[in-house]
Amino acid sequence: MYPLIKPFEAISGTVQEEELETIKEDLPLWGMGVDIEKCVGCGKCVEACKTENNVPMEPFYFRTWIEHYTVNNDGEVAIESPNGGMNGLEQSLDKEDIFKAFMVPKLCNHCTNAPCVQACPVGATFISPDGVVLVDDTYCIGCSYCIQACPYGARFMNPITKVADKCTFCYHRIKQDLQPACVEVCPTHARIFGNLRDKESDLVSFIQKNPTQTLKPHLNTQSRVFYNGLSSEVR
Amino acid sequence: MPKLIFRLFLSFAVFVTIFILIQQYVKPVSFGENGHYRANALEDNLRKTTYYKGEKACASCHQEVMDLKDSDLHAEVRCESCHIPKIDANTKCEVSPPKMEGSIEFCATCHATNPARLKKGVPQLDINEHEKGKNCVKCHNPHAPWELTEN
Repeated sequence: MYPLIKPFEAISGTVQEEELETIKEDLPLWGMGVDIEKCVGCGKCVEACKTENNVPMEPFYFRTWIEHYTVNNDGEVAIESPNGGMNGLEQSLDKEDIFKAFMVPKLCNHCTNAPCVQACPVGATFISPDGVVLVDDTYCIGCSYCIQACPYGARFMNPITKVADKCTFCYHRIKQDLQPACVEVCPTHARIFGNLRDKESDLVSFIQKNPTQTLKPHLNTQSRVFYNGLSSEVR
Repeated sequence: MPKLIFRLFLSFAVFVTIFILIQQYVKPVSFGENGHYRANALEDNLRKTTYYKGEKACASCHQEVMDLKDSDLHAEVRCESCHIPKIDANTKCEVSPPKMEGSIEFCATCHATNPARLKKGVPQLDINEHEKGKNCVKCHNPHAPWELTEN
């Protein structure tokens, strides 16, 4: 790949691809764990995400949102997410009619094989060396191919910048050793953020202790958001 | 070599040269340093305001509130779960205190009865039955909810 993009540098041999690979090994590999058994659907993460990342407060624009799943006694699944769960989630059905109910926080899954990165025609979306899928605001042409390519619906067009926008794991925060805003405000510690390469981190111990799953594993996206207590109803 | 084939090679070489020259001119400065993207975009993504400061920043001044919070059921709840963050890091809390919405509806976002959050360790209440219309903070100390005030 590299000699195709920079033919002259490749010939002179300033940077070798093997060197880049070794640099990657020392970098952290960020990931997130979501404990559905702990999420109470208060919507603090949605609000915090919007405040931190200057996302418009109107509905339809979400970097993270909460889905309220209700399975009734006939086995029918209803998925609600009024205003992304920002103002809290309420149950409309009576307790007797409900077979099962739970909340699922969703965000960008930061796939290893990201479909959005492959779809981008200009190279404006990319996977950073530490495993975060980012958008280059100044280079994006706003064609919204990536929004269609994302199987998780995690991307949207930002009405202010007019380019594709998505969860960045609060890249400006994690570089300052802070946690992402949604993790910072979660009152029940339902979200765990950490370095997947660090065996001592909270995230690794969370994955080791709990039977975690990723969303839509059949698509082979190899996402780095791990869910504990994921039901088969979740899409 | 036939003249025709020579012209073909020549025009091919000219087009390739023009393409490489245009690419060198149009391509952004750091494009392709780490892969098929602009490497400076990583720094662009860092250029953002950090609104949420984290519990450590709060504890640097308010250690006594943190101790009170850790002593009771709200130990897991972070400061900024309830307190709206300060916009500017340099603004002192006395000048613009972090706001707090102390209404029944605010507490109800976690504590109102909902079958989806039963058995998750968060106490559930029907806000229309339990002390109807009375603000939660009248009796409960929000930092230590089981420290009840007599009213």
